[in-house]
Amino acid sequence: MHSKSAPTAVVADDERLMREQLAGRLKEAWPELVVVGQAVNGREAVAMVQSLEPDIVFLDISMPEMDGIKAAQLIAGKAHIVFVSAYDQYAIRAFEQGALDYVLKPVEPDRLAITCQRLRERLDEAPDPMHHLLEQLSDRLGTGAVKPRDYLRWVQASVGATIRMIPTSEILFFRAEDKYTRVQTDRFEALIRKPIKELIEELDPNEFWQIHRATLVRVDAITQVSRNFAGKQLVHLKGRDEKLEVSRSFNHLFKQM
Amino acid sequence: MSSEAKDDGPAQPNAAAPTPQPPTVRETLRDLWRGIVSLWWGFFDWLAIVSWKTLLIIYGLGLLLAAMLNRPHPFFLFLVVSAIIKIVAGGKRRADLAARQATQRAETEQLERTAVEARMQALQAQIEPHFLFNTLGSIDQLIQTDPPRASKMQQSLIRYLRSALPEMRDGRRPTLGQQVELSRAFLDIMGVRMEARLQATIDVPEGLRSAVFPSMMLQTLVENAIKHGLEPRTEGGKVEIGARIVDGQLTVHVLDDGVGFAPKSDDGVGLANVRERLKALYGARAELVISVPPTGGTCATIKVPYEVGAAQ
Repeated sequence: MHSKSAPTAVVADDERLMREQLAGRLKEAWPELVVVGQAVNGREAVAMVQSLEPDIVFLDISMPEMDGIKAAQLIAGKAHIVFVSAYDQYAIRAFEQGALDYVLKPVEPDRLAITCQRLRERLDEAPDPMHHLLEQLSDRLGTGAVKPRDYLRWVQASVGATIRMIPTSEILFFRAEDKYTRVQTDRFEALIRKPIKELIEELDPNEFWQIHRATLVRVDAITQVSRNFAGKQLVHLKGRDEKLEVSRSFNHLFKQM
Repeated sequence: MSSEAKDDGPAQPNAAAPTPQPPTVRETLRDLWRGIVSLWWGFFDWLAIVSWKTLLIIYGLGLLLAAMLNRPHPFFLFLVVSAIIKIVAGGKRRADLAARQATQRAETEQLERTAVEARMQALQAQIEPHFLFNTLGSIDQLIQTDPPRASKMQQSLIRYLRSALPEMRDGRRPTLGQQVELSRAFLDIMGVRMEARLQATIDVPEGLRSAVFPSMMLQTLVENAIKHGLEPRTEGGKVEIGARIVDGQLTVHVLDDGVGFAPKSDDGVGLANVRERLKALYGARAELVISVPPTGGTCATIKVPYEVGAAQ
């Protein structure tokens, strides 16, 4: 179906200079190829494939809004895909397994000529859906749907007149106080609205332990656990005099090893 | 303690014994003398550590014993001698302990400093390959389409590399001025690449350029602002570098109006490293604060003690 008319291509990169460079060098390497569209992000590239139906798409891997891998997942099967990247050791390894092609930026004319040759040979074949390769790639680049669970790494809290982002690694403990949750660091305290119950769900269970219905403590901040006269366990924290009570149902956390 | 030093001090009267004496007798005598010496220093050390309260109780018991035996003279001799030794030895002992502690502290501090320096070197050796190759690609393209601009961009890259690479070589502490120049070169380069998507302003008073400021920290904040703030948005945005003195502290901020902070984003190693290095260099006297300005985006602020560096 393509063999009669001139082959067409879409070039996607967020930097204009890079798009123009690729378009210019394609013109030298493959004069018959017509670049019908230039996209500035992955989403635009997908839209252009829908509307312009090009034979080939050149996709930069890191682009705003939708990166090249995600765009490729939506484009796969509709056009031949060539990835373009400044530096991606993983991508390069994946492409070395065959399937389709990659080009490194800045694009070298000799290397691009080889890519064009491969594309010319495959132009009449249906584009490869590339399921396997894309899966592999998105796993390696961490852009796929399957990803290790994301835990809360920052807590947004008002401190005085400013809204601060407090890294969880600086927080000693969270404690429910009336309607609020108190966030204590070694420098200051702040109040947030998120209840302990929700925090437990979102924080890394290896980073914070619940020691009481109302208290979550950062494990790394614990210096020792003692007992008071009533036999209650008390958690001591780095650089603080305040001790936190462990309620009976969480006593097992500090059983002697 | 100092027993070894005193060991061969006063000539032994017994050593003058006739030479044909079998060596075993001499050795016995020497051992005996050593025993006395070490006992004496043991007593000396004990006196130094023992509290006055214990000593007074011993005096009381001694007085009782002296009264029982009706021989007060040896007791009073002991009392006067031990009191004098106690006063003299106490001071010596304290000085000894203080000296030992100071040596230990100096050793750990030295160790820490070496470790921190090594880590800094490793960090500074990293120059993002993405940045380097993309920049070289842009220069390559500009050589064909706009040679004067290509040359300017290449000069910016040279300035950037020069200020990023050799900082460890000269022993002087980095100044805010140097750090701002490094980031200015970086922003110039990114400005050419991102075009209208990046609007950068630098507002650092001339007078603060000589202030001491740790290396590569400002640059980390600027890179973060672009990478996590502006690049994810097709339309880009603004980045502002500012510095002032607030309550005697040098306060340097990088503000962007980009997509803002994702609470689950693991900001890589960048900010954690800045925080760690600030702690190593200044302890509790420095701080990195990330805040959300009312206009959206992210504001990262580093506060360090204000010090003026050596003249350039």
